[in-house]
Amino acid sequence: MHTGMSGWGASLAALPEFTPPPNGWEAVLAAHQRRKAGSSRNWPIAIAAAGLAAVVGLAWQLQSAQSDLAAANPSDFDPGIVASDVVRAENARLEMLLAAIPEMRVMRGSTAFTLAQLEDRLAVVDDRLSRAALEPNAPEHGERLWRERVELMNSLVQVRYAGMASPL
Amino acid sequence: MPRIADISIPESVTRAARDGDERALETIYRATAAPVYTLLRRLVRRPAIAEELLQETFVDVLEHIGAFEGRCPLAAWIRSIAVNRALMYLRSPWHRSLEWLDADAGRLEGLCSENPAACASAEPLLDRALMRLPSLTRAVVWLHDVEGFTHAEIGTALGRSPSFSKARLSRAHASLRALLAAAESIKEGTSCTPA
Repeated sequence: MHTGMSGWGASLAALPEFTPPPNGWEAVLAAHQRRKAGSSRNWPIAIAAAGLAAVVGLAWQLQSAQSDLAAANPSDFDPGIVASDVVRAENARLEMLLAAIPEMRVMRGSTAFTLAQLEDRLAVVDDRLSRAALEPNAPEHGERLWRERVELMNSLVQVRYAGMASPL
Repeated sequence: MPRIADISIPESVTRAARDGDERALETIYRATAAPVYTLLRRLVRRPAIAEELLQETFVDVLEHIGAFEGRCPLAAWIRSIAVNRALMYLRSPWHRSLEWLDADAGRLEGLCSENPAACASAEPLLDRALMRLPSLTRAVVWLHDVEGFTHAEIGTALGRSPSFSKARLSRAHASLRALLAAAESIKEGTSCTPA
């Protein structure tokens, strides 16, 4: 640790302190109890995770065949949209992974919010993809949108998986 | 506002907490919660996330204080848990997706022109400017300038090199300096944005 505080440090340290939420200690104790209760019932989650890993492994095995298929077919959105084989194969793989993760009936509010945001963004990208062929720079734009779609799908898979492993 | 690591917790309280005394643990919470929460609010933009991270931090403290060996001050140990929690969150894919929603993140140049009144007072402006820095850059600034981390420590915490930390800090200072200079020009009655 360096000991001196720069001019910036002094100015930043002088900014007002935030007040933690009221009843914070009680909330910590309650969260601690929930975590302890959660760890004692972790074995069913471990079994579920193992099952999911098997499904994911299977999906991975199938991925190369599916990606070849995806690369050979025209885009689902418009034949005029060009995307590299790699991007489309990755998209197909993520779609399969997402389909393999069971739907969560119970989840944290923050997880549900994040999922809703990601799904909304995915819908926007899909809509743009369906209209991108009309634009003069369709190939470049299409590739960019496909990449964006892959990033969103990747986030969606990770959030769904994390939510399933630790629902509350 | 003192650095978290400088908060002194009596040895007797630490010892009692290690033995599982709930009142001692509560005393530690009350002594450190505000600065830890402030640190978390500076590292993550969303108050609800900072509250959740605060809770997770102190649950970690409850679970692991028995193993605390006293090689560093207790408050510094708690701070390291909070920083790790916050950085784990900042590296997570769902945080990156939320950054997309914070459309003004990293954009300092519009701050004065959008709200000239905010430029009239240096302190809130610095606050707002800081929160507009990209997350990792803001973490570097706060950990280095306020909490006293070295570039090597920041590099390790972020999984990057010390030069990454140095470069981010230098660019952040330049951005903040430019913004505050623009605010000064507003105070003097000239335009915030250069002609």
